[in-house]
Amino acid sequence: MTGVKRMLMVGIVFSSFFVVVGALWLSNSVETLDEVAEHFGATDSPIWNPPIPDYEIHGFEGNVMVNIAVGIVFTVIVLVSTFAVGKSLRLLKSRA
Amino acid sequence: MHIPDGFLDLSICAIMYAATAIFWAFSFRKASRVLSDKQIPLMATLTAMFFAAQMMNYPIIGGTTAHLLGGPILAMTLGPYAGLISMTVILLIQALLFGDGGITTFGANVWNMGVIGVFIPYIVYLLAVRISKSQRALLVGAFAGALIGDVLAAVFAGIELGLSTLSFPYSVSIAVTAMATHHVIIGIGEGAVTTIIVSVLQKTRPDLLQLPKLSPGWLGGA
Repeated sequence: MTGVKRMLMVGIVFSSFFVVVGALWLSNSVETLDEVAEHFGATDSPIWNPPIPDYEIHGFEGNVMVNIAVGIVFTVIVLVSTFAVGKSLRLLKSRA
Repeated sequence: MHIPDGFLDLSICAIMYAATAIFWAFSFRKASRVLSDKQIPLMATLTAMFFAAQMMNYPIIGGTTAHLLGGPILAMTLGPYAGLISMTVILLIQALLFGDGGITTFGANVWNMGVIGVFIPYIVYLLAVRISKSQRALLVGAFAGALIGDVLAAVFAGIELGLSTLSFPYSVSIAVTAMATHHVIIGIGEGAVTTIIVSVLQKTRPDLLQLPKLSPGWLGGA
């Protein structure tokens, strides 16, 4: 296995571990900013309806297995997106 | 620390987009020149890992929770320009797909967590390493950088909230105090995790800490 493949595999394994721990034991999120804003009476007013609000698919709220799957799939999407951004930047360099 | 739509006045949102755009321009231009084939997979791997790590919320004081930001480690391994690009990817996906952070406030969120949360830890870390080459200085720099970066990011969020007089009718000092107080605790957590990761990297993969950094020339950039 090449160094790059090993690095990507290690990244996916660690990320999957974080997602599982996050979904099973550390999923409750009460952000300080939200608490402070709520305390002072500020309210949010979204201008965009995200497809997966609060990291949960509509109809599967509270389903840990689905949440883990969503977390892992989107972690891989982040990995691929960042890789693509990096490669695009390299491509810009070679064209310059 | 993800500010949702509606918390900030649109004028503040516009100013924060403009300020962040300056750093985006520098970061993407520099990255397109300097980013190496070795750094791209590392950047992708670390970005994915910190996206996942942000899903782990641990309890702190007052019934609130915190999560790792990851900016300090991104900066210390890749440099602040690449760190900012990584944080931008994370925050963009969180805002667009999960509603974690707003669209109008995206510039402010990238400023707080991507510019302040990445550049400040890197500057503090670099100062510590320049003062002393010892391992203790490296770890103290990593801890202090993460702590100060996190608290300053919260201070900026407080300033943005405090200046948003239409949506947040309280003074800057009230908003800053409320945000900074909690984030001292969160910053200690970020500092502790950053120190552990830097310590492990130093023992197992010191090459990752010695890669050419994508940063301004005055910060030892490549």
